[in-house]
Amino acid sequence: MSELLIAKGLQKVYGRKGNAYTAIQSIDLTVGKGEFVGIMGPSGSGKTTLLNTLSTIDRPTSGSVTINGTDVVQMNEQDLATFRRERLGFIFQDYNLLDTLSVEENIALPLALAKVNPDEIDDRVHHIAAKLGLEEILNKFPYEISGGQQQRTAAARAIVVRPDLIFADEPTGALDSKSATALLQMMTQINDEETATILMVTHDAFSASYCHRILFIKDGEIFTELDRGHLTRKVYFQKILDVLSALGGGQSDII
Amino acid sequence: MTLFNLARRNMSRNFYRYFLYFASMIFSVMIFFTFVSIQFNHQVAQAASVKIDTSFKGASIVLIIFVAIFIWYSNSFFTKQRKKEVGLYALLGLRKKQIGRMLFYENLILGLLSLIIGMLIGMLLSKFFVMILVKLMDTAVNVSFSISSQAILETTIVFLLIIFLASLDGYRLIYRFQLIDLFRAERVGDKAPRVSALQSLLAVVLISGGYWMALQSLNSKLWHLGLLPVALMILFCVITGTFLLFRSLTVYFLKRSKRHKTHYYRGTNMISTGQLFYRIKGNARVLTVIATLSAITLCAVGTSFSIYYEAGKYAKESMPFSYAYIAKKGNQIKADNTLEQVIKAEGHHRTLNKTAVSVIQVKGKLNGFKSVISPPFLTLISESSFNGLGKIIGLNDPVRLNPGEGLILDRYYSNQFSPNFQGKEGTIQSKTGKNTTLHFIGYRPYSVLNDPFANFSIVVSDDQFHQLERQNDPLTITQINVTDPSHSGRLTAQLTEKLNPLITFTPFSMGSYYNTYHGMMSAYGLVMFLGAFLALVFLLATGSIIYFKQLTEAEQEKMQYGILRKIGVTRKEIKGAIAKQVGFVFALPLILGIAHSAVALTALSRMLNQSILIPVAVCMLVYTLIYVGYYFFTVQSYSRIVNLESR
Repeated sequence: MSELLIAKGLQKVYGRKGNAYTAIQSIDLTVGKGEFVGIMGPSGSGKTTLLNTLSTIDRPTSGSVTINGTDVVQMNEQDLATFRRERLGFIFQDYNLLDTLSVEENIALPLALAKVNPDEIDDRVHHIAAKLGLEEILNKFPYEISGGQQQRTAAARAIVVRPDLIFADEPTGALDSKSATALLQMMTQINDEETATILMVTHDAFSASYCHRILFIKDGEIFTELDRGHLTRKVYFQKILDVLSALGGGQSDII
Repeated sequence: MTLFNLARRNMSRNFYRYFLYFASMIFSVMIFFTFVSIQFNHQVAQAASVKIDTSFKGASIVLIIFVAIFIWYSNSFFTKQRKKEVGLYALLGLRKKQIGRMLFYENLILGLLSLIIGMLIGMLLSKFFVMILVKLMDTAVNVSFSISSQAILETTIVFLLIIFLASLDGYRLIYRFQLIDLFRAERVGDKAPRVSALQSLLAVVLISGGYWMALQSLNSKLWHLGLLPVALMILFCVITGTFLLFRSLTVYFLKRSKRHKTHYYRGTNMISTGQLFYRIKGNARVLTVIATLSAITLCAVGTSFSIYYEAGKYAKESMPFSYAYIAKKGNQIKADNTLEQVIKAEGHHRTLNKTAVSVIQVKGKLNGFKSVISPPFLTLISESSFNGLGKIIGLNDPVRLNPGEGLILDRYYSNQFSPNFQGKEGTIQSKTGKNTTLHFIGYRPYSVLNDPFANFSIVVSDDQFHQLERQNDPLTITQINVTDPSHSGRLTAQLTEKLNPLITFTPFSMGSYYNTYHGMMSAYGLVMFLGAFLALVFLLATGSIIYFKQLTEAEQEKMQYGILRKIGVTRKEIKGAIAKQVGFVFALPLILGIAHSAVALTALSRMLNQSILIPVAVCMLVYTLIYVGYYFFTVQSYSRIVNLESR
């Protein structure tokens, strides 16, 4: 398996001297092509900061991030934006759909920005929509559909560009359990069928149990790593709970 | 810490937020103060030959209404911006009464400060504006710096009242909000508007109907319904039509551009179109107000500037010669010599040409018109005199008449109002009691005699003129042209003094170009000044309204643009999308405003029987330029707001 994302000596410090707060101490990690990796940890452990620095939304204080051979830390703002929209996909906790655009347009947006030819945009949007069961609501606006549908739309927008890597930040955080399960199954499905690489931040053990591998973070450092291997999801889930209780602070999130 | 302190601290720390509101308050005070200062300025009052008080009073009422609306508008913009802050105070446990009082104090402090600053700037500006006014009115007065206590008093009273009401509104605000409203950002989406074919059709019908009515001749049946009702009907049609147009037709076009996928699915087009589509319903009202304001502004400034621009031409038409007089019997030579001497002595002007023509003034009647036209007297002039004078004043339009034929010279001829002279007849009653009938072969819309002597002139053949000369006492009109008559104030005064004993006063004394020209310039200069001043205020307010509106939107859309940046839209692309979207909002009302005013001014030009293309085009160009300036400024601020956050 080739390595898609490599982070070395990643550090992120907020604030200035005297008032500095270190969100990430020093993290090295790699994500292979086609992997579905989870990042877990208690509140304030630096999960989201890590995801943001890995996904080029935020710049690390020091260290390097290489995605598919490109050093993204050295890129300028302009190139980064282009890189983001052509090579990366994002799914956020609060969906982050554009209220002013319909579901279809929200999905088509990254393709339109990349100046893909309109016929192809149409094809790809409909193909994805069919896959994620969004065909019925293509002409609706985000405020007219449910949270689960919104999140599926966001997922569709993330994968429609066929990105190298999809970043998901607490994608199930605002969903009820049924929608959450559906979304996770869908993510597993796109991970399998489209061989999309996914990096997901979550503090929910159930969501995490869908991953191949989980990195546990505590106080800005990698605490441990848990590989699913050939375990069933149920067993894996139990193992995650064990690690969380060892980690401390995770109890409140146990179902 | 007292509430007063909290209010003061709020202001010094949140300067940027307060700045816009503060600036528009200062601006309003400044404009109003400048205006009343001019009104109470003694030098202006002296310079004006007409009574300026009434026109200024009227204009100042318009200004007060406008300023009040403007302050109210910026106040509501300002308070909306602070919803969250107010909510936070409530959450921290301040009682509503306390928060309300704090807002009241804040508004009061701001108001008083802007009153003082506005008046200070206004004092400096008023001298500048008085200088412009005096220049426009073609008067040489040395403007000194003066402060009118009356102006200070009036401004203070008006604004204390407005500020008090605005502060009270701020106090009331807190009672209108529910805590939950204060925190919830405005995320309630407009329902996607539907295209209503009926509304679109109605919009087009109403606007074109309004235009059609406006362009009807004042003689037509329509205007017989009465001037005011028809004018109101036109206004109603055009404004309603504009509103419906913005509401429905724009939706139609946006929908169409959405369907056109090759364009729509291209870069940021989707973002700006979507944004516009989402807001179009709420925007319709503001766009209508702006289109209407633009139209009013353009009409006001277009009309006043056109009249001012043509003042020289009007003067030339009524006074084709610099001076004209009729010498008392036996004083002709003396008068002519005096004239030469005075011109030579004065030294700044040279005589260009001098002519003496014989005219006959008689009583007479014109027959065969709807209403009987019987001017107090008719002036008869011979064919050769007419042709000669015409040549001198540069009209190459000679006529050949047979005895019994007449050509009417009607300087006020209007296509809309004047009767058709051709083929009609007139009867001339000579002093001897003999009647002569003249057949009119046509008219010319100008005169070759200075106004007081021309009245209603008729050109007759040379033979007929000699015949009539024997039956009446002919008069000799001496007309001369000098160089640079527009600046001949001193010469005109001296000539009037020296010539008065030598010339007849019946029916009129000397007719000078300069006096007419000067009178027109000072009257029209005032009109021009008032028109331009109000237009400037309207324009600034119009621009500010769109600007505020767009900034409010920017604040609300911050999140949306944050999302876009996260999924990889560059700042440059975002700015491009904003430029397109704001451009649409700016361009639409400008286009309609220009169209409306073009129709109104066309109607005016028909009424004046005059092409006013050049002055109107100048006004529109200047207006558009300032407006475009506002556009760029708005795009800058908009994109600064939505691109501010780094994450």
